[in-house]
Amino acid sequence: MNPIIRFDQVSVAVREKTILSNISFALFPGEKAVLCGKSGSGKSSVLRAFIGLHAVASGGVYFQQMQLTPASVHMIRSATAYIGQEPILGAETVREALLLPFQFKTHRNQRPPDARLVEVLNRLHLSVDILKRKCSRISGGEKQRIALARGLLLGKSLYLLDEITSALDAESKQAVFDVFSDPQLTVLSVAHDTEWLARCDRILELEAGRLVRERIHGNA
Amino acid sequence: METLDIELPRMALLYGLCLLPWLLLRMLGLLLSRDIGISVLRMSVQLALVGFYLKWLFELNNPWFNGLWILVMLLVADFSILRRAGLKVRYFALVTFIAIAFSILFSAAFLVFWVIRPALFYDARYVVPLAGMILGNCLQGNVIALERFYSALRKNENEYATFLMLGATRMEAVRPYFRDAIKAAINPTIAGMATMGLVSLPGMMTGQILGGSEPWVAVKYQIAIMVCIFTSTTLATIINLKLSLKSAFNDFDVLRDEVIDKRS
Repeated sequence: MNPIIRFDQVSVAVREKTILSNISFALFPGEKAVLCGKSGSGKSSVLRAFIGLHAVASGGVYFQQMQLTPASVHMIRSATAYIGQEPILGAETVREALLLPFQFKTHRNQRPPDARLVEVLNRLHLSVDILKRKCSRISGGEKQRIALARGLLLGKSLYLLDEITSALDAESKQAVFDVFSDPQLTVLSVAHDTEWLARCDRILELEAGRLVRERIHGNA
Repeated sequence: METLDIELPRMALLYGLCLLPWLLLRMLGLLLSRDIGISVLRMSVQLALVGFYLKWLFELNNPWFNGLWILVMLLVADFSILRRAGLKVRYFALVTFIAIAFSILFSAAFLVFWVIRPALFYDARYVVPLAGMILGNCLQGNVIALERFYSALRKNENEYATFLMLGATRMEAVRPYFRDAIKAAINPTIAGMATMGLVSLPGMMTGQILGGSEPWVAVKYQIAIMVCIFTSTTLATIINLKLSLKSAFNDFDVLRDEVIDKRS
């Protein structure tokens, strides 16, 4: 089986400061992995490097055997959902936020019917009434679930989650865990939540921009 | 009708008028003497030099010298736009020059060739002041557009990245900031046209009336210049923003940090 994400000796420098050094790991379809380490160890930078927001100084980043290059970055981003601690919904109402990606040329012909919106909202334990609400009036946890719903509507199977569980209430957390119990979905996350860590197949420990340990679930 | 000249002693009296605002500002505790002095001096010296040069240019009325003067104005405007917009000259000088040169030459040529139609198409008395007026207004518009656009992009870096992650192309992802910047750049011109004649008498029209023109002729020139300013500002800001994207972003659609002038 080919990995869905592969980092091969990746180094990243921002403003001449090295933030990632020789990072190598692979993540296979359906796996849930977590990056952990102290603040500033480079966890979020790994996620950003994968989607081309940090330029790779040396080594290679691969998505399904395809190397991240200027020619492939649009395709890789379109196939990946990235959800941060405070997701940006980029629209006035929740309905507009959910349908935002379908305004772009890449997804223009895939606009989902209302029934599909309702189905996804139910899956995330969200009421249909939220569609009419303003994005500025919903909680952080709801925002994260809406961002997640957007990924599901786009049929994405790879999720990059940056500290999303830290701000979640119990209900939101349960909804997120339920969604990611789906074996079709692959997750690379940054988290400290012990409950989430226990559910992950792979734990990648970073220290000062280096991958110092990789643990596979069940192995020490 | 000849315009009354202002003799030197009366010019000195005019400078004396500046003492009133200077005194009021001083009473308010605003110590701006140095700034006021430098500004008034710079204005006087710069305009005196331009006066001498324009007199010579009008007498010579040579198409090459007229063109050269417009080129100099474009280059000064180019650097001024980038400096005031907080962008590095080395990355944007060429694209800004192309944008303003194309729009100014297009509007000025339209006005001179098809609307005013002087006996000599390169007549300095028409070409130089008209191009200068259009350029001056176009400069303001371009400063606003570039400054707004790149500030918004830096401020909304995460939102822009979210759009990219949702499948937007670079152009689709910058579109909200692009539209806001263009709107901010052309709004003063649109508002100016809407209130022209009610709130203030425009400078060019006033100048022509003082110079002895019939009010109706002055009105027509003012309308012509406003239409050209609106056209060239819209054209220049759209072209400038669009062309600047190539230099401003890396191959992965990320805004390059080094293009922003941090000193400004």
